[in-house]
Amino acid sequence: MENQTHFDLNAAIEGWRQELAAQPNLASDDRRELETHLLDAIAGFQRRDLNDEESFWLARKRVGQPQQISEEFVKADPAKAWRERIFWMALGIIMFLLLTQTLTFAVGIALYHLFPGLHELYVKSGFWPTNAAVLIIGMALARGWFAQSLKLVWFLKNRFQLVALVIILALLLSITQTEFARENFVLNGHHSSVVTWEWAPWIENARHFLWAYLARIAAPIIFLVLFFPAQNQKTPKRS
Amino acid sequence: MLTKDLMAASSKPLLLSILAGGESYGYEIIQKVRELSGGQIEWSDGMLYPVLHRLERDGLIDSEWKQADTGRERKYYFISPDGRKALKTERQQWLAVHNTLGKLWKIKPISI
Repeated sequence: MENQTHFDLNAAIEGWRQELAAQPNLASDDRRELETHLLDAIAGFQRRDLNDEESFWLARKRVGQPQQISEEFVKADPAKAWRERIFWMALGIIMFLLLTQTLTFAVGIALYHLFPGLHELYVKSGFWPTNAAVLIIGMALARGWFAQSLKLVWFLKNRFQLVALVIILALLLSITQTEFARENFVLNGHHSSVVTWEWAPWIENARHFLWAYLARIAAPIIFLVLFFPAQNQKTPKRS
Repeated sequence: MLTKDLMAASSKPLLLSILAGGESYGYEIIQKVRELSGGQIEWSDGMLYPVLHRLERDGLIDSEWKQADTGRERKYYFISPDGRKALKTERQQWLAVHNTLGKLWKIKPISI
């Protein structure tokens, strides 16, 4: 029986790479640069007749803890982390809009063909069943319920949570907007929720429009910016 | 070993001076600083890059991914015209400090 396990340098480097990838504040270019540095350092120690394992651990120590490096990067360019976050928030909003619109369309068509009665109910309800479904999925993602089964690496889960949160917020706010739509629907007395432009004077429409879009897009961003900076400060568990 | 404050303050003139002598990459820069300072200045490798990136953002240096002779791609940094100007100012200031201390410690002054 062999007690000594063979040290696999490539596997060790891969592990380090993943640990680095878990740092949400490091761009891929930064990671690539740090990786070439690690490889240079390993080669440097190997030239001094150290074995693979010693070279790897010394080089790793030299480069520094991934979390520490990440913190230094943030200190050097605090705006960068925010640019990243805003990118993911924007992506979340786009995903939400795409997802609800596609689902609403698909479910609407399916109901229309399969159960005409249900379809009418669905339209009258302001499409809320679709919203509810997306809401539940979004919440599950935010809680990380699927993270295990989907085998998501830590950083991916973290980003998923951000995106999912935006979806939830946008949904919650869109429900408020649906109330408006239903009101309009009743006032107009016909089967459409896109009647806003007809029933009220233009100033009223503009106000409604502004409110709906501010609520949908600006509010989630403001909320996230204010309350979720700490999300990215977590450290992945070290083995 | 230098104090943290001095380490932070000296990183800019050191990096600009090294790059004024020719393009270089992170690993090489650290080796050079370690060697030149006789081990007095030990930059933690991972801390160097944020400083380099800041200098790049300030337009004092530029960078480019290039393939080395060994085939490995590295990010090379080189000094920009603005960087040379900044280095001149840094040089004057550091020598002013050096000469003042030198007078107090009775060391020969260096012409600026």
